[in-house]
Amino acid sequence: TASREQLRVRYGHIIVFLQKGPLVLVSASKSHQSELQLRSELLHVYHQIVSMLTQASINRIFQCRKNYDLRRLLFGSERVLDALLDVMETEAGFLLSAVQCLPLAPSTRDTISQILQKAITPNLVLSILLYNGQLVSIVQEKMVIEDARLKSTDLHLLLNLIRASSAFQTGEIWTPICLPCFNPDCYFYTYVAYLDPPDCTICLVLLSTDKDAFYAVAECKRKIEEGVRTHNALQCISKVQLCQVCHVGVAELRHFLFKPLDVPDHHSQLPQFTSPEVEAPYSTEEKRIYLMDLYWHLHSRIHSTLRPIKLLYHATQRETLLALVTGKFEMYACFSPLVTKSTAIGAVTKLLRWIKKEEDCLFIRSPPKYSTTPPEARGFSNSRVQTNKTLFGTI
Amino acid sequence: MASGMQEKQYTPSLLSFFIYNPKFGPREGEEEKKILFYHPSEVEKNEKIRNVGLCEAIVQFTRTFCPTKPAKSLHTQKNRQFFHEPEENFWMVMVVRNPMIEKPSKDGKPATIEYQEEEILDSVYGAVLRQCYSMYKLFNGTFSRAFEAGGVELLRQKLEKFFYRYLQTLHLQSCDLLDVFGGISFFPLDKMTYLKIQSFVNRVEESLSLVKYTAFLYNDQLIWSGLEQDDMRILYKYLTTSLFPRHTEPELAGRDSPLRPEVAGNLLHYGRFLTGPANLKDPEAKFRFPRIFVNTEDSYEELHLIVYKAMSAAVCFMINASVELTREFCEQLDALVGPQLTLLASDICEQYNINRRISGPEKEPQFKFIYFNHMNLAEKSTIHMRKTASVSLTSVHPDLMKILGDINCDFARVDEDEEIIVKAMTDYWVVGKKSDQRELYVILNQKNANLIEVNEEVKRLCATQDMTTLKTVSCSCFNDSISVMQ
Repeated sequence: TASREQLRVRYGHIIVFLQKGPLVLVSASKSHQSELQLRSELLHVYHQIVSMLTQASINRIFQCRKNYDLRRLLFGSERVLDALLDVMETEAGFLLSAVQCLPLAPSTRDTISQILQKAITPNLVLSILLYNGQLVSIVQEKMVIEDARLKSTDLHLLLNLIRASSAFQTGEIWTPICLPCFNPDCYFYTYVAYLDPPDCTICLVLLSTDKDAFYAVAECKRKIEEGVRTHNALQCISKVQLCQVCHVGVAELRHFLFKPLDVPDHHSQLPQFTSPEVEAPYSTEEKRIYLMDLYWHLHSRIHSTLRPIKLLYHATQRETLLALVTGKFEMYACFSPLVTKSTAIGAVTKLLRWIKKEEDCLFIRSPPKYSTTPPEARGFSNSRVQTNKTLFGTI
Repeated sequence: MASGMQEKQYTPSLLSFFIYNPKFGPREGEEEKKILFYHPSEVEKNEKIRNVGLCEAIVQFTRTFCPTKPAKSLHTQKNRQFFHEPEENFWMVMVVRNPMIEKPSKDGKPATIEYQEEEILDSVYGAVLRQCYSMYKLFNGTFSRAFEAGGVELLRQKLEKFFYRYLQTLHLQSCDLLDVFGGISFFPLDKMTYLKIQSFVNRVEESLSLVKYTAFLYNDQLIWSGLEQDDMRILYKYLTTSLFPRHTEPELAGRDSPLRPEVAGNLLHYGRFLTGPANLKDPEAKFRFPRIFVNTEDSYEELHLIVYKAMSAAVCFMINASVELTREFCEQLDALVGPQLTLLASDICEQYNINRRISGPEKEPQFKFIYFNHMNLAEKSTIHMRKTASVSLTSVHPDLMKILGDINCDFARVDEDEEIIVKAMTDYWVVGKKSDQRELYVILNQKNANLIEVNEEVKRLCATQDMTTLKTVSCSCFNDSISVMQ
């Protein structure tokens, strides 16, 4: 008999089934994505639902009432799931399981990080500043990092939740959000505010484990706002020049994705990638989806579970694609179809050189940390489970 | 205590194979009537009905997404099901067990099984399933005609008779890209010899007016065919994987071999029948020619298949099945064709040897490649050292063959010229080129080369001897048009 988790049907369209606990998710797709990739998309959808409800409560509900209609709890959140499906089609972060940082001079970034680092309150675990969805700075609580790593999926789902609801753009929001990969059974209490209304491009997100800490966390925001104003940081951020593919210096190069892999583990940073703005001929929504579909396909061949490969070069009438993975990085590049093989190979060298030159701006190498755990609670390595209960309230 | 056992690798195998028509049992309680053939037959009736029902349900379900294209395959962790609807409402389903690795029990933990789903390529096994139908149809005609002639009973009988044996010849563990192509290997010939063969065929067809179609092969490779491409393709598969391997050459047999006496009485020529009368000298012996069905889309012809061989040359004569072929006719054919074919066979052999001397001894082929031309179905592989139904000896690692399969799938998506170059984990390079209905796959063992050097190597391959033999030779003779491969 077949294992139900991995049932798929194929015929030009692919239909993929995924069962997680009491939920069955189905996807029908015409894209070039592989079954594994579609399954991971379904997993993201599942995780997004968990981010709103937590896994523990989903399981509990269905245990009590097998016929429960979960839509009752998900009412109003359809646009979050819709937005997720859209964003998975156009953004490389999901494909690469990595986040993209705003290219920022290290000094500016450090200044901002220090501002975040100082604006703390007990039970605050994560402070994030974003500009148009790209990471400006992220500061994490020390103990939290030791216990469990923040995954890029959690960050993507968090950002999607915030972006999908226009309600988040009005004033300050305090809401429970679950980080499913970190801990699927409990909520963090999330403070969200835009520092530049009404443009709403610079977003501050503060996560706490204490559901009654709204005022304390709002005070942190005030301190951050002050610090940011003092240093004129908002201007620096909005004036930033995003990466453009012409910076690399290869005429036929149209777009690329680059993810460094040689990050020492003790840096405990989020996996990151960099990629330039999407320009012609992929500037329309449709073309962006088309380009991402090409990347999805390259990725599935390169990372095939049974026959992974090191390099893939695919020349078609419309573009030439090159995918390369080494111990140090993985990259995906899209060239005009007229590019020669020597230019394409030469482009890799030029790209590596350019990345090396700019890497301090492109990546956050060592995310700063703060400590908000009271000193008494620090000796808890023996009784982790106990402490988890004190640190993280369950609903 | 650690077990000293090794990991055991299981190759893909046939789990079940069934044919059904939902129209034959549309009402509840009649489900069994839908099933026309089911292997393995020992399976309990209800389970058969369940499995067929599941396939029906999946086909129906997927129709809602794409009404024009039916479901092709179903992937689950342990097996893969392939669907094919060769005739309206007649469905064929093949269920293949995924290859798996059995890891021995260790430290008290039970043995685990890891299923390798990605190992099976849909394109390969989908093609194998379609070929099952083509082979059945070659010897039995279409499902609908059988049903029209004798109802469900006759159809069931025919299916049982054919598939019971045929399924045993399926060796799923050795299927690969060549099964996707289902191509024909052409014998390299110079123009002169080709014309000799053509005139031989014309002469015989004129003398034996009953002959409707002819095909000429040498050394398991095709030289001439009067049949339509699709018919020749499946006939070729039958000849090279079933008929020819069964008949080794008596003149090559040793002095004491039982095969010897057949040739003893006939010093005029080496010709003999591979189908039909095994021994013309015995007047009591009964014989029968196999019947084949061709042109099933339009004229629907049933023919006797006469296969006559002399040394390495084999000729197929196809005659309308309504004609009764007598012993006299066979003797006439034997007397006419035997000597001419024997001469022709030695001519071809001589010419071939001359050509080889000119082009240089054929050492281990320098390049490992597979070539296929969609227009004339010509295929050539220097990777397969021997490919029969039961064995596919390839000189490259099976993972590389699967990479070729992946590239072929990528090519199949768009109908344009493309090129794909892959560097595998083992540092082997695989280059796939698609141009103008032709596909070429090259495997290079050049670990330290870069993309540009690999490109140069492949260019050299296309310009060298290997490709020019393909150039001069292969005359595709379908429908009298000769197109020379580049």
